[in-house]
Amino acid sequence: MRAELELSQQQAWHRVAAPGTWLTGAERVAIAAETRHALDCPHCAARKAALAPLSVPGTHASLGALDAADVEAIHRIHTDSGRLGQTWFNGVSTGGDARYIELVSVVVVTVAIDTYRSAAGLPPQPLPTPLPGSPSRHRPSGARPGPGWTATLRPEDVTADEPDLFREHPGPRERRGANIHLALSLVPHSMIHWWDCFEPMYMTGPQMRVFETEYRAISHAQLEMLAARVAALNQCEY
Amino acid sequence: MTGQGSGVPHADVLLPFADAALSFDSARIAPARAAVLAVLGEAAMIDAAAVIAGFNGITRIADATGIPLEDTKADDTADWREALGINAFQAAKT
Repeated sequence: MRAELELSQQQAWHRVAAPGTWLTGAERVAIAAETRHALDCPHCAARKAALAPLSVPGTHASLGALDAADVEAIHRIHTDSGRLGQTWFNGVSTGGDARYIELVSVVVVTVAIDTYRSAAGLPPQPLPTPLPGSPSRHRPSGARPGPGWTATLRPEDVTADEPDLFREHPGPRERRGANIHLALSLVPHSMIHWWDCFEPMYMTGPQMRVFETEYRAISHAQLEMLAARVAALNQCEY
Repeated sequence: MTGQGSGVPHADVLLPFADAALSFDSARIAPARAAVLAVLGEAAMIDAAAVIAGFNGITRIADATGIPLEDTKADDTADWREALGINAFQAAKT
């Protein structure tokens, strides 16, 4: 494995086990475990096959460590994300928008690392041991509603109380130019957790825009083709 | 879809690799991975697996947070989004 890729994935996996902003280390590891478990959930399989997933009666097969709302969110995000809508979001009660964002970040880090290792022929990483400590419960003072379903923190609203989530330093800003950069910004450490894991898998923003240089063993065109294929398979409108 | 006609080199092995990877089915993944290794080598297989994995995560972020496409991108891509059926994804959301 490329050294940068290996290091970033090791770091991302260890960060799953650490206390977050809204979740304990134990809760975060339980979310990672439940994410994996979702692939074997008969209720998710039935919903996936249905034209109207919310019309399918039944309950999720869960590991039992999390409450039903968390399990619903985790399972849907992993198994049927392309059909998630605001009606569903409004009805899933996972303890507030910031806690939800942190849950999403743990799910997607788990999905990405598991997908990589499975595709590359590597065994799954063992679940990490949760680290002690309490969540900070810090909500950025500059967060405001939109552009998605939750509040976000725009670059212009970042205060000195926040980490360098948009990679402003030393400048120019690296994480910019797309709404997707805002998606997890309500929980800055969750945003950093994801993008530090994702960029070595793909490219950084500046690398993405330099077409005369190839940063990976496959070309920009091949990377974009694969990205588009995955987006289409996942029915991702974005 | 094999990727023939896309104009992207080696789409014929890369796209089946993506399809297999998202299945999490090792029986599907192994031959698809072997085809990429045979044609493009290990470093390319690793980077292909990585980008597939990364976008298997980031698409979920977009869909789980309701983040909309930027207006300028939506305007610039309106024709081919309709032609490719991407706009139909919205109708399936609940």
